[in-house]
Amino acid sequence: MRILLAEDDSMLGDGLRAGLRQLGFQVDWVRDGVAAERELASGDYAAAVLDLGLPLKDGMDVLQAVRASKITTPVLVLTARDAVPDRIRGLDQGADDYVVKPVDLHELGARLRSLVRRAHGQMQDVLRCGAVLLEPSARRVSLNGECVTLSTREFDLLHVLMLNADRVMSREQLEQQLYSWGYEVESNAIEVHIHHLRRKLQPDLIQTVRGIGYTVQRTSAPT
Amino acid sequence: MRTARRLKSLQARLLAPLLGLLTVVWLGAAVMTWFDASHELDELLDGHLAQAAALLIMQQGHTHEEDSVEDAPSLHKYAPKVVFQVFHEGRLVLRSANAGTAPIAGNAQGFSTVRLTDDAEWRVFATRGAEHDVQVYVGEQTESRSSILWAVLQGVLLPLVIALPLLALVGWWAVRQGLAPLRHLSQVLARRRPQAMEPLLIPDLSTEMVPMVQAMNGLFERIEQMLVSERRFTADAAHELRTPIAAIRAQAQVALGAGNDAAQRDHALQFTLAGCDRATHLVEQLLTLARLEAAPASAADAVAKADLSALARRVAADLAPTALARGQTLELEALAACQVAGDETLIGVLVRNLIDNALRYSPNNAQVVVSVAIESGQAVLRVQDSGAGMTEPEIARLGERFYRVLGSDQPGSGLGWSIVKRIATVFGAQAHVSRSERLGGLAVAVRWPR
Repeated sequence: MRILLAEDDSMLGDGLRAGLRQLGFQVDWVRDGVAAERELASGDYAAAVLDLGLPLKDGMDVLQAVRASKITTPVLVLTARDAVPDRIRGLDQGADDYVVKPVDLHELGARLRSLVRRAHGQMQDVLRCGAVLLEPSARRVSLNGECVTLSTREFDLLHVLMLNADRVMSREQLEQQLYSWGYEVESNAIEVHIHHLRRKLQPDLIQTVRGIGYTVQRTSAPT
Repeated sequence: MRTARRLKSLQARLLAPLLGLLTVVWLGAAVMTWFDASHELDELLDGHLAQAAALLIMQQGHTHEEDSVEDAPSLHKYAPKVVFQVFHEGRLVLRSANAGTAPIAGNAQGFSTVRLTDDAEWRVFATRGAEHDVQVYVGEQTESRSSILWAVLQGVLLPLVIALPLLALVGWWAVRQGLAPLRHLSQVLARRRPQAMEPLLIPDLSTEMVPMVQAMNGLFERIEQMLVSERRFTADAAHELRTPIAAIRAQAQVALGAGNDAAQRDHALQFTLAGCDRATHLVEQLLTLARLEAAPASAADAVAKADLSALARRVAADLAPTALARGQTLELEALAACQVAGDETLIGVLVRNLIDNALRYSPNNAQVVVSVAIESGQAVLRVQDSGAGMTEPEIARLGERFYRVLGSDQPGSGLGWSIVKRIATVFGAQAHVSRSERLGGLAVAVRWPR
């Protein structure tokens, strides 16, 4: 899952990026409000972690601008402003969650997963497509109750497809969701991962829509 | 003790002098009345005595039987208070009923005061006739004069005795009425919420109380400003403390979760330590500022002197290794000695903050020049750097606590400038920020008045 991290403090930003990466997130880190707004508007992020005291443009203004331009990316506000009026204002301005520093990395990860899940209309943490079960928090996938070992990229790809079940995802969309900045994405990387997933799970789990992209069906065809 | 207690009650302070003065004036009037009345009375009654004596002498023409003494009839109840004797050629011929046979005033002529056999004091007028064959004595008891005086005096003093308590009562009531607005004010104050800082609005305020209420409203305003600044400070401090702690926590968790990735763990642990240093620096700065805020606003009277040059040398030596590590040049151009008003420790903190800020916010390989000089009689400490400097709006915001120039990547606390300004104020010096003509970056000058 690709996350945008907007944090001006270099030490905290570095820690959050490293920590969220350990938890399996792809993290893009911006250090000011203008960059945060630009990235939220252009990039395809599963969620964003937004500090409020950002240089150039305050986090609250970024949030307002982003919501005004109908960008629905879930935003978790991470701030030192702990006063109740601040929290209320943050949530009312369009934040999906409000967390006061310091925060436990695991809690932050769980909150982000929950935001992403809800953004996709999922009520439960586990995603199911026929016989395939995906648990984002444990980063575990099982087929008919049997655990299947997947690489990080394979898991993330399957996660994105299952979150967007019944929708066709283009290769570009998938790349956007999977790779943070600084990764050279090989042109056939997605195809290779899809191939591996089909081999490790079910050949017909992921369907190719020629010329458009890939999709999984919530009620997958019985095996 | 008594004065202290009396001063506590406005009532007493107003009433006591008033009634006291009244009593003194009245008593003075009574004393004057006494002297006046007794003088007039003496003259009048002495005149009567003389007149009576003259009458008796005139009556001497009428003959007396030899060897007989006529006793004059007593016609009035006051008659026993009056006495007279008439002698003719040494022989008592006429006397009042209460008079003895011996001359009551001896040979003395004119007025005299004598004590007679009845042990009462008498005012006596003695005179001789024109041919010196008649001697007349007319006396009058002095006690009767005193009783007249007393009667007069009572007429003066009685109203005072009655009026004094009455005046006290009326005065007490009037003062009480007059102080009613004060009681009303105290009630209004007692009913106020402790957080209420809006000005007092009291209708129909008496003119004497306007300055007091205005002063109170001024006080409320100042307290509110202080509270607002305190609240903002607390919020800012919370923010500034939470961020390094959040960083320390995140980095520590990254180190824990690094597993076999030694490089990542080491990196995270380095950052954890750096985060601790930063939090320590921030806490120290906060404590310094808190101590300074508790200090009196001006300690200029204090005679303590500090050698600015020596302090600058010491601080520059302390910070030189940090500068060298970043390839920065730190130069010092200082007089041999330069005494300024101020506590050595605090001036040291000021110098350290200025140099530290210059090094911190200047890039690697930058140049920082510290100078101590006397300019038109004023001691001036100047710290200049070749960094990016600051824009006008940035300089304007510099005074705000925790304000840091955006995008600066240095782990400063944003408190340094607040501390510098506060210390300068305490010792009557002025701090000024501008663009450095010489190095192109920021120039901070602190001037001590002569």
